[in-house]
Amino acid sequence: MKSCYGVKFTIRVISLVVMVVFIGYTGLKTTSAAEPVSPAKEKDKSPVVVPTAAQPEEKPSTSSILDPKDPKSIIYLNTKGELAGTGDPNKSGSPSEAYRIGSGWHPAALAGAGLPKDKYGLVNWAKIVKDNLLTPRHSLDPSDAEDMPPLDMNILIETKSDFVNNVIYPHYIHTWWLKCEICHPKIFIPQKGANRMFMTEIAQGQWCGRCHGKVSFPLTDCTRCHVSPKKAAATPEKK
Amino acid sequence: MTKKTLSAISLVLVLVLSSYGFAKLGDIVFDDKAESLKKAGMSPAVFPHGKHEDIYRCVDCHPKIFKDKRGANDINMQKNMSGEFCGNEACHNSPKAFPLYQCAKCHIDKKVK
Repeated sequence: MKSCYGVKFTIRVISLVVMVVFIGYTGLKTTSAAEPVSPAKEKDKSPVVVPTAAQPEEKPSTSSILDPKDPKSIIYLNTKGELAGTGDPNKSGSPSEAYRIGSGWHPAALAGAGLPKDKYGLVNWAKIVKDNLLTPRHSLDPSDAEDMPPLDMNILIETKSDFVNNVIYPHYIHTWWLKCEICHPKIFIPQKGANRMFMTEIAQGQWCGRCHGKVSFPLTDCTRCHVSPKKAAATPEKK
Repeated sequence: MTKKTLSAISLVLVLVLSSYGFAKLGDIVFDDKAESLKKAGMSPAVFPHGKHEDIYRCVDCHPKIFKDKRGANDINMQKNMSGEFCGNEACHNSPKAFPLYQCAKCHIDKKVK
């Protein structure tokens, strides 16, 4: 068995060497086609052949990477002269540092901005508007028409419980950022008493929960909406 | 050790363990505000006392947050929201425990409509 195996091995090595030499003679273009066959066989038993086969393989690939006309071969340097990235963002990531910072977790990126925070440490965007800390442009395109002014209308939403404070919904702060069509009529029917909301549904992502808890302040902040005291809450006696 | 001492120790152990078992309270149902709950379409909150016993000592809640007497605590959701009872700053108004807006976690067997 052992001698038989040895004979087979030497035959295989000799045939491989002959093949590689033959491939080397028949020019570069044919090698690229023959490549996939030879490395598979080489891995079997002959490490000697690897360097000879690797040489013709590298040549075409290096020439394609360093093509000066290919935008992917651009190298970007940062202000310190260090490599920031390449023209191929799939390989090296974006060369822009601002982009990389911006793609981080939003509250973390804003933590050092000195903006007012709520009790959960999240940026209090409503306070920013009320205190005139920010005056965002209505559009990036200056030729765009001016926005509608915010709608100053508070809606009293009575809670069904005898104890929980009523909700006062301010249109003003919402229309500061949002168009009417974002909420009406898909999320809220614009008619008094037409929307029968339940806190359980809101917690499941309906009604106010479409935004609050996702992009707006979380539902955990109960007393920020439940502001208007009920009569029953003041007197412990039930009706 | 003799057989007698061994059996005595085991007896004490059994007694202690069983007393622990007896000490654990079951679920407490807050149904004193049934009328308001009915209006709101909610079922009464169920408080798993045993679950809390596993995590906390009695003095953590009694008598500071909850008086340890049946009917002595006038709990409602508004008070919870403003930091009393379940909504204490160290409990369900903090990141330590699930938040108050997850209604169905306490108001189990909820009827939404």
